Parts: sequence; structure tokens; C-alpha cells
Amino acid sequence: MASLIDGVSSTKKNYLTAIKEAIAEEMARNPHMIAMGEDIGILGGAFGVTDGLQARFGPERVIDMPISEGAIVGTACGMALNGKTVMVEMQFIDFISCGFDQIVNMTATYHYRTAGEVNIPMVIRGPAGGYGGGALYHSQMNEAWFANSPGLKIVCPSTPSDAKGLMISALRDPNPVLFYEIKELYRKREIEEELNAGDDAIVPLGKARIAREGTDVTLVTYGQNVWHCLEAADNLAKEGYSAEVIDIRTLVPLDEETIIASLQKTNRLVVVNEAPMTCGFAGEILARMTTKAFRYLDAPPARVTRLDTPVPWVKPLELHVLPSVEKITETALQTIRF
Amino acid sequence: MATKTNKNSNEQSRPRDLLSPQQMREMLTQLYLARYFDVRLIKEKKRGRLRGTLYSSHNQEAILVGSLFGLKGTDWISPIHRDMPAFFLKDMNAGWRNPDRIGMTIEEVCAQVWGKAGSPGRARDNWSHIGSKSKRIIHSTSMLAGTIPAAAGVVYADRLDGGDAVVLTYNGEGSTAQGIFHEAINFAAVHKLPVITIIENNQWAYGTPTHLEYSLEDFARRADGYGIPGLIADGQDVLDVYDKVMMAVEHARAGNGPSIVECKTFRAYGHGDHDDDRAAKYRPKDEVEEGRSRDPIAVMKQQLVALGHMTKEEAGQHLAENKGAGEVTDIDFPEEVVAYLNEGVQFAIKSPLPEAEEGGMWVFKEVE
Repeated sequence: MASLIDGVSSTKKNYLTAIKEAIAEEMARNPHMIAMGEDIGILGGAFGVTDGLQARFGPERVIDMPISEGAIVGTACGMALNGKTVMVEMQFIDFISCGFDQIVNMTATYHYRTAGEVNIPMVIRGPAGGYGGGALYHSQMNEAWFANSPGLKIVCPSTPSDAKGLMISALRDPNPVLFYEIKELYRKREIEEELNAGDDAIVPLGKARIAREGTDVTLVTYGQNVWHCLEAADNLAKEGYSAEVIDIRTLVPLDEETIIASLQKTNRLVVVNEAPMTCGFAGEILARMTTKAFRYLDAPPARVTRLDTPVPWVKPLELHVLPSVEKITETALQTIRF
Repeated sequence: MATKTNKNSNEQSRPRDLLSPQQMREMLTQLYLARYFDVRLIKEKKRGRLRGTLYSSHNQEAILVGSLFGLKGTDWISPIHRDMPAFFLKDMNAGWRNPDRIGMTIEEVCAQVWGKAGSPGRARDNWSHIGSKSKRIIHSTSMLAGTIPAAAGVVYADRLDGGDAVVLTYNGEGSTAQGIFHEAINFAAVHKLPVITIIENNQWAYGTPTHLEYSLEDFARRADGYGIPGLIADGQDVLDVYDKVMMAVEHARAGNGPSIVECKTFRAYGHGDHDDDRAAKYRPKDEVEEGRSRDPIAVMKQQLVALGHMTKEEAGQHLAENKGAGEVTDIDFPEEVVAYLNEGVQFAIKSPLPEAEEGGMWVFKEVE
């Protein structure tokens, strides 16, 4: 990854473009795919992820929806019930709460309650995460709500190639998938990458990525915090410690094997994520590793999360509650020196 | 756009005028069947054979029979808890035992009620929470009005594929206060989707009367706010329900979009069988008597006799009407009705329970 920071060539593409390409390629490949969301057609999406999609595929397949998240998810569920694959955009992932019942009760349970007769191929995607001054309702990472609702896969990429490859996998998955896009990464030039096309771009769900190899501590994370952890690893290197950074990429299903294999090597675990601490997914990883990798651990596993607060607006407040490179470095040092 | 119930209007062009005497008598038989299903389940429950709550459709059967009678098999429906008979009444005119009809068999429905493996959903969710993609029945949840968006999505997809299916969604008047009710009908109206929203206005949402649910005299007027037709049907009169629903179906099939059809009726018993005793207290006695005074079976018999499709002597047979579940016996129903249900009950009793391990299965579909 580090080499990508050196320079930006014209063929390198950003995280947003990666998602855009994946959606467009899949719509071209799959005539039964529909896209729906608020302002995704005429406008091309609040962030431009669906820019040009309606012009190419028409208003029947790229639907500008009323501001009705419940109906957006619910109608998508009906379309999927009747043979379609549906990409649903939440304008901000924060707004997903307005469609909560339709996701967790209607959509997530469909395959289960019909004993497998019905499956719902649907991707609900949207911009997520803090660090951008978005305040309480444009900064959330609410994936834990859905990790606690059986029947939903949950994805959160941190690089353009993962964003594209995981989106293709999500759009081809027969189950509902929640896809958390990190809006602060959408146009971040430092992380731009060359992208493959079609099947060559595929990244399977449920396979973690070792973002940096190391031997003294394992930092397990996803999304935006991957980049914070890589920076923390640089700091730790200056202190003489070698940190391994694992980007889990998908929360459900979780690639436990890659984490366990890393702990066999480093014997120390720090989990980082920007959601609130209590019942957050960091806690789930800690619990599983404490149970399954207890004998490899030489120090109490730790987590760095948001404080148990909403995400406040102005920068000093926001940075105070979210995980930072400093907090990650400090926690990792404590774990290493335990 | 709301239209008042007026039995003398459009006398010449009512959809019922195309029904043959045999079809009208079949409607009566289906009313008996829906009623018998209900009373039989009440009896089976009292014998301790069933678990779960029974949401009686007693006194509301005309809405189910009248709305389903003119549908094509390829149309979709979205029934809820009080609509159990809808599962087997769908496409019944293709033949009660026709294996190719696009509706559930009585065996499947009974196996579901008994919680057996023969249920289409292998008894994973209870009672009315079944459905079938192949039979074009949307599976409901307990979140009322929550399946209207799925209904809209189903017909949106069907229209994209060149189909002409309509969807009937069934709702109590209580669920109309849900936000999702508004969201879904608004979307259906914007896209002129063939979604017919049937309101089974039985005057009580569990323990809450209509004047505490909405502020309209006639709920159908709510349709004005969506720019769609709102029709009112006499929910005790199977022919009036048939007329109004078929008008909405024709309107939808012609590409003109959704309608709301308010069927005025009255809930005979409690919200569920657990609520019967309390319902007898929280609902005024004279209101209950008035609400149950026009039994849909009796109303249909009167019309068949008036039309000359049935003799008074025939109407005097099988006196299931105006009787409570505890008062009727099998001789109050046509033999074919009792025999049909017996087939379902026998199948359900013999069907095994699902394997315990199934409780952990089917959370996800395997990726191929």
C-alpha cells in the first residue's frame, strides 16, 4: 500500500470511482439489476457515486426514490423476491435507521423464515463514518445494529481495489449485504489505485487482508481506521516495534482464521473501530479472540473505539471522541509492554 | 375521488353482472369454507391440538372471497394475520384440488397451523406468516403494513418483465397509521403500480376503536391524498366487495395505478383468541350485536334467492350463518367443505415436526 502514496498516475482511480465502476459493470452484466435511492438518477447521487447511471440504464432501472427509506428497502425486497438484484443507496448510512424494520425484520429474515425458498439479493450501500465534521447524523458507523441481526452480510472496504472487488462480490451474493462506504476515503488521492475490470477485480466476502505484516502486535480494524492503524504502525516502528495490521474487510462473515494466525505470531491484540464501544464490533472480535486464541495471548487484548457518545460536530470535539493515531499507538504500546 | 357505497349506481356495468349463477353459488361455498376453516381451528385449539394465537376472520369472510374471486392465478397477494383463508382461496376457481392452481393447498395451510414440517415455511414462523414465491403469496411479518412496500416491489419487477400482474394487499384499519403504509402507497402512486390496498375496517385495532386511529369519517378518503381512487365496499356483501375490488383491478391492469378499497366490517371476536374474554368487556355489547347482525353467508343467500339462483329451500340448508363458533356443527356446512378441510387436517396431523437442527439453518443462502 505504501508505494501508492508515492505518486498518482492518470490510470489510478479513487475509492468512489471504484464503487461507481463496480455498480455500472454489474448493471451492464446483469439485466435484472436495479438501482434505487434518493437523488441517484437525475442528480447522480449526493456524492456522485451513481453519476451517469440513469442516462445509461434508464429511469426504470435507476430509480429516483421519494424520501422514504422504509419504502426504498421494502420495495427493493419485493423486487428481489420477484427475481431482481437490487442496489439500494442510503444517501448517508445514518438514514438507514428510518428503514430499520424493513431491513432487520423483512429482508434479513426472508431466507430463514421461508426455509430457503426465497433469497433476497440486495446491497444496501451508503457513505459512512466520521472525521469529516458531519456531526451526529452524517458521521455514524452503525454496523453493529445489523451485525446483531442475523441474515445480513456486512462489508466495509478501506481501499479502492477492495471497494470495487467487494462491491462486485456483494452484488453477486444471493443474500442481503450492507456495504459501508467511507466517505472520507471517496476522493482521497493518496489511496488511489489501478483497478481491474470485471471478474479480475473480484474480492471475495469473508477474507481479511493483511495490510501490513508485523511480529509484535496485531491491530485488527476496518474502514477508515485501517489508515490510522498503518500510521500508528509507522509510529510503533520508530519505537522499535513491528505491528501487523489486519483489515477484516467484512464483518459478517468474519475471517477469524487470519486473525488467529496473526495472534499466533504476535501474541498481542488491539482492535480498532470508530463505532461506540459498548456492544460495538470491536467487542465482538475481542470476545471471539479471547475465547478462540486465548492461549496465544501474552497481554490482555485491548480496543480503541469511539467514546460511548454520538459524533459531535466541531473538530476538537469530534477528534476527542473518535479513535486517533495517537490513541492507537499508545494503546498498542501498553499492550506490547504489558 | 372517494366513491360512496351506492348499490343502485352503475347497475348496468357492475363486474358481478358477468358472473354466472354457478360462480355466485361457488362464492357462497367459498364463504362456507372460510367460515368452516375458522370455526374448525377454534375447536381444534380448544381441544389443545394447536399452539399459537388464532386470529379469527369470522364475519369478515366476504372480503377475502370477494376480493380473490376475480383474480388471475398469476396475480400476487399479501395477506396478514386475520386472512388465513386467503392462502387457499387464491386461484381456487382453477379447481380446489387442482395441483396446478397458483394458491396454497389446504394441506399446506393446515400443516402450517399445526406447526409441522409440511408447512411451506417448515413452521419457522407462526400462523399467517407463510407465503410462497411460486404461488405468488408474499410472506408477512408481525410489523403491520410492512409488506405493502414488498407488494409494490413485486409488481414493479413484474411490470419490468412485461407481466400484467396486480397485487392485493390486506390490511386492518389499525395498520394504516404506520409510516410505512404512507411511504409504500405514495411510492406505488408515483409509479402507477398495480397495488390494490384493501382495508379490512373491522372497527377495532386490537383494543382501540377507529375514532382513536384516524380522523376521517370514511377511511377511503385517505386515497385523495395520494391522488388515487378510494372505494368503499360493504364488507358483509361478497358481491359488493367483488365489484369494488374488480373495479380497482381493472383500473390497475389498465396501467392507471393503485387504489384503496375500504371494506367496512366488524371483528366478531377478540383480536386473537387470547383476547376473546377481554374483548367482550371492552367492546359495547350493542355495538358487537349490530356489527355481527349481517352475517356474510346470510347476506349472500338472500341475494342468491332474490336473483333466482337459489331456492328458499336450498337457502334453508346448512345454517352456519348467525352462529358462533361454539354453536355450529359440521352439518351446518356443505359436505364438500367439511371433506376438503378434513383432508388438510389429516395431512397436518400426520406430517412430522421439523427437525430441531433446522432451527439453525437457512440464515444465509450458500454462495454458489
